[in-house]
Amino acid sequence: MSLRVPTVDVARQPTTRLDLRLRRWLRRIWIGIPLLALAVWTIYPVLMTLSISFKTKADVSVDPGLIPSNPTLDGYRSVLERQGFQDAFINSMVVGLGTALLTVVLAVPAAYAFARFRFRGRHLLLLFTLLPRLIPGLGLMVPLYRIAVALGAIDQLLTLIVAFTATVLPLAVWLFVGYFQQVPRELEEAANVDGASLFTRIRYIVLPLAFPAIITLGVLAFREAWNEFNLVLGLTSTPGSRTLPYELFLMTQTTGFQDNPGQAAFAIMTIIPFIFVYLRLERYVVSGLTSGALK
Amino acid sequence: MSRVDSSPPGEVESGPQIALRQRRRHRLAAGRADRTSLVGHSKGTPYLLSGPSILMVTALLVFPVVYALWGSLFNTEFLGGPQYFVGLEQYVDLFADPDFVWSVTRTLIFVTGVLVIGIPLGLVFAFALSRATGKLRFMRGLTIVPYLISGIATAVIFRLILNRDFGQVNQVLGFFGIEDVAWFSNPTLAMFASMVAQVWSDLPLVVLLLLGGLMTVDGELLDAADVDGATGWKRAWRISIPLIIPQLVLATILLSYQALTSLGVIIALTGGGPVDATRTLPIALYEAAFIELETNKALAIVIVILIFNALLTLGYWGLSRRYDLEGA
Repeated sequence: MSLRVPTVDVARQPTTRLDLRLRRWLRRIWIGIPLLALAVWTIYPVLMTLSISFKTKADVSVDPGLIPSNPTLDGYRSVLERQGFQDAFINSMVVGLGTALLTVVLAVPAAYAFARFRFRGRHLLLLFTLLPRLIPGLGLMVPLYRIAVALGAIDQLLTLIVAFTATVLPLAVWLFVGYFQQVPRELEEAANVDGASLFTRIRYIVLPLAFPAIITLGVLAFREAWNEFNLVLGLTSTPGSRTLPYELFLMTQTTGFQDNPGQAAFAIMTIIPFIFVYLRLERYVVSGLTSGALK
Repeated sequence: MSRVDSSPPGEVESGPQIALRQRRRHRLAAGRADRTSLVGHSKGTPYLLSGPSILMVTALLVFPVVYALWGSLFNTEFLGGPQYFVGLEQYVDLFADPDFVWSVTRTLIFVTGVLVIGIPLGLVFAFALSRATGKLRFMRGLTIVPYLISGIATAVIFRLILNRDFGQVNQVLGFFGIEDVAWFSNPTLAMFASMVAQVWSDLPLVVLLLLGGLMTVDGELLDAADVDGATGWKRAWRISIPLIIPQLVLATILLSYQALTSLGVIIALTGGGPVDATRTLPIALYEAAFIELETNKALAIVIVILIFNALLTLGYWGLSRRYDLEGA
């Protein structure tokens, strides 16, 4: 995007040098204030939490500044020593990666079919577009809990992976269909003439071209699994099977306002891994996130 | 060679668009099912490819809703006891219960509050970002950060910065002479705090959505307005905002969805309290299912939430067709 040059109506505006400079400054302030507000609104709460996570329990109320005067790692140590945290961290990683993988593996062939073939059931894509909106995770929490209990599938990581994948799948298929339709059909037809089978075409033509989409969808699915709370609440009941958000919730319930640095450290540790993933893949992800919001 | 299937180059199409086009095409192509210029596949191939996804979604998204609907028609004397059919009694009981009716009202208050705070804030930030060029572009990447943070972690963050003793917000307020604000023991303030935390968590999507809309506004239009002497506010009100109404509508519906089904943020921030001040529908659902252990009642609440959600979806569907949204 290019900055538009401010056009000044020569006939009406006094155009002394000083006046122009003043106007430019005013303009900068008008943009600057909301931008500053945006930065404070977005980052300040996170920074403050980071700061509290390095304070001692006693210092939290005595030393309210942003830079801790006696920085300590006690908060982090107390979290790392919690058995629940270690289990939950491993579970979150397994469930996150599992969900990302399963989502891509299931969504790619389905989206290819929707994008390239005419077949009975293709109109189901219409349903796919609406399902995630019609049926939010919150609505699934209780019924899935009852069904999982009946099937004996409660407290298992695989159950979480399957449930999360199902909630991300409609969105993933929908986005992939969009990407696949952008891959020129002619490319595939040419390969087809050369004798490339369906599998070869998907493997060597469609997938490489859709690579950014796969990364985006993988990160999206990972985020859903990493941050999901409702379904974990419904599908787990024993300490060893929970993921991070649920464990953090339990910590706030048990320690209350006693261990503020610990809670802050826990929150920071649930955020950090994802920030790293995100920073590495930002250019792929941002557009995917916005389209993901509505599709 | 079939031209029908290749979409125009450019932006990814929106789902409703694909769906619409597909329905039109279906009407055109009736009787010509399974025709493609690509060879080397059998008739069963598309079913084989899409089957697993369709099965999975049916089993884990559609079936639970049917299960909930069915289960809400029954009741038990005690947990795990024999179920007997009660018809719509669960629903009648729910709406006869003033606590439940209040939680519906509270949910509407919560959703409205989130919109009242979120949409203007999102607009201001989107306008600012649309002007942030050059070195300031990193601000766009920064904006997304709250979206990466789970609802529970968001709640923990807000519990810390709104803390009565050491929270930064109270210190700033103290500077202006407003002392000792008890965010979590005053019912109104607790509700307000929940709304702000919810907005914080979902604002990135709103901002990026509105920003996307603002970027499509024709620069020449704005320049023309500039020449005519329309500046700042006037330009925004008369030109930009009317042009991004579709995105505004979508952002509104998106925020409503998130607020309506928000459990994590509220439950970890206020736990529904003080007393019942922030006990919205999702909290009522959580309590019925996992504290009172009244599964059938919980399933009825699920259906009520799904109905509200369906109304929103209908609105979304209608409006997205009306505005013929492109890639939004």
